Amino acid sequence: MSKAFRFWGLFPAWALMVLTLIIPVFIVAAVSVSERGAYGGFDWGFDLTAYRQILFTLGWTDELEFDPKYLIIIGRTLAYATGVTLISLILSLPLAYWISLQSARMKLILVYLVTLPFWVSMIVRVYSWLIILGNDGLAERIYVFFGGADGQGFLFTWGAMLVGMVYSHIPLMILPVYAAVEKLDPALIEASHDLYGSRWTALRRVIIPLSAPGLIGGSILVFVPSLGAVLEPMLLGGGRQLMMGTLIQNQFGGSRDWPFGAAIAMVLLTIVVLVLIVNARRAARQMEASA
Amino acid sequence: MTTLKKSLLATAMMLPMAGTAMAEGQVNIYAWSESISPELIEKFTEETGIEVTVDSYSSNEDALTRLQAGSSGYDVITPSQHFVKIMIDEGLLMDIDANEMSAYDQLDEEWKGQWWDPENDYSIPMAYGTAGFAVNRDIYDGPVDSWSVLFEPTELAGKIAMLSYPDEVVSAAQLYLGVEYCTEETSEMRKVYELLDAQKSGVVAYTSDNIANRLGSGEVAAHFWWDGQVLRNRLDGANIEFAMPKEGLVGWLDSYVVPAGAENVDEAKAFINFMSEVDNATAQANYYAHSVPVEINEEESLYTPENAPELFPTVPVVFAQACSPAAQDLVTRVWTDLLQ
Repeated sequence: MSKAFRFWGLFPAWALMVLTLIIPVFIVAAVSVSERGAYGGFDWGFDLTAYRQILFTLGWTDELEFDPKYLIIIGRTLAYATGVTLISLILSLPLAYWISLQSARMKLILVYLVTLPFWVSMIVRVYSWLIILGNDGLAERIYVFFGGADGQGFLFTWGAMLVGMVYSHIPLMILPVYAAVEKLDPALIEASHDLYGSRWTALRRVIIPLSAPGLIGGSILVFVPSLGAVLEPMLLGGGRQLMMGTLIQNQFGGSRDWPFGAAIAMVLLTIVVLVLIVNARRAARQMEASA
Repeated sequence: MTTLKKSLLATAMMLPMAGTAMAEGQVNIYAWSESISPELIEKFTEETGIEVTVDSYSSNEDALTRLQAGSSGYDVITPSQHFVKIMIDEGLLMDIDANEMSAYDQLDEEWKGQWWDPENDYSIPMAYGTAGFAVNRDIYDGPVDSWSVLFEPTELAGKIAMLSYPDEVVSAAQLYLGVEYCTEETSEMRKVYELLDAQKSGVVAYTSDNIANRLGSGEVAAHFWWDGQVLRNRLDGANIEFAMPKEGLVGWLDSYVVPAGAENVDEAKAFINFMSEVDNATAQANYYAHSVPVEINEEESLYTPENAPELFPTVPVVFAQACSPAAQDLVTRVWTDLLQ
């Protein structure tokens, strides 16, 4: 393959990457160190106030003091995204495995069903949860049917947010997990039983290790967008406590502090990149081990 | 901004392009949600051949941010008075010689040359009203004569929703506490923070969208809201009441303005003039259910003090101001600390 062909052949991909990924990241980075405009917006410059603000803010005594509030928001977001990922993982594995056991025709239909929600606007899907979880909604009726107290609102709680986030993101988990589980050789599971492995051992020593790439890939696909979720915290969680996504959104809206919003976005980006690096190193180690 | 919003935005910007080939002109409007009568838009297109697209926002901050992000693609927006002032100061609006437009002649004298646009170079007032709170009378039958019912809730605790942005909420808290709007005193704003923070345990959601459903369905019993929306939903059958707190209501006046860099200025001005004609202004007032600063046909008007007490406040109305950056920072500090 000629050098010129390699360059020009890859050029569209590179151009796309540079235009839609690298340049925007640099713009965000530049805004995060620019000077804040009085009523929002910004002036180009170099000013690290936005980053200092993550740790130190003006308190109600007008003195600059260490304030963990933004660290708490970041921690809360990480904890939440982890929870969403774990729940998705636990629900996806059996589902994906079950799909992989169906006939070829059924598999196609089921995989299609998993992707079906993507055809509907995200806002509409989140709104539908408002109806399900709202006053006198489906969730409450079921709860009352099983003897729960009436008038119990499920909306605007952490649980509502969690349900919404798992619901929105779980297809991103099911698909890669399914892809991994589907390739699994049933003979290996049989072999583990022949060697007196229990069902649990088969799951732990055979199924999970062999489908690990899918589990990890799915986890990243769920974890990363969960970090930046805005709709679910706002609509289902009631916006009572900020997450990183809503915090960033607020800086560009009500708080009118673009550099700080950009700085938080950079923190978010750093976390995502760290997750990806850890994963890449793990994958590299595995390649070495199997080589 | 989420990918979702970006794609919505992209779609919103593509839509007008689709219609350009056919139309004689177009005008892209960015206005408060459900604020412009769809029938009038149809009528305008019929009369002038100008295609209209309408996108909506639910807070002044959203409109300001969109303009600051540059090339919004909009030709007409309708921010409130203090944001008109900020937008003019920030160079975000176009000088359209509004005082020479036919719409200007329709204006009531008292709304000409206000502090946010003393010469009326930029803006034509569109509607005015108040921000306060409403209660669902199926759930709550207590008094609503003071902000204390909302800000220091007893019976309403756990059944309150507030807006997601500080603008009107902080102003209302200031009215209640007797703190001046836009104060630069940290100690004064601390009182506001402490009030809102104590209230928070009784607030189930901070959100500016979908208010009619939330309050009408009884999801919450009290909601921060605007006068006209309460009126419209009450007349549609919701058993709700707009409170008249003795401490006062937060006043607002929205104006038509044209963003700097707008492409369809003539069409925008034609639209503003059209909306201000007596018959159209009357139809618009009946649709939007807010008070109007232009001449209307009183006989055709649907709302009177008897059937629409929301629009005729019996308590003081104090218009929100454009705060200095220092004062605005304090407002922001209150809000961030509140929602941290």
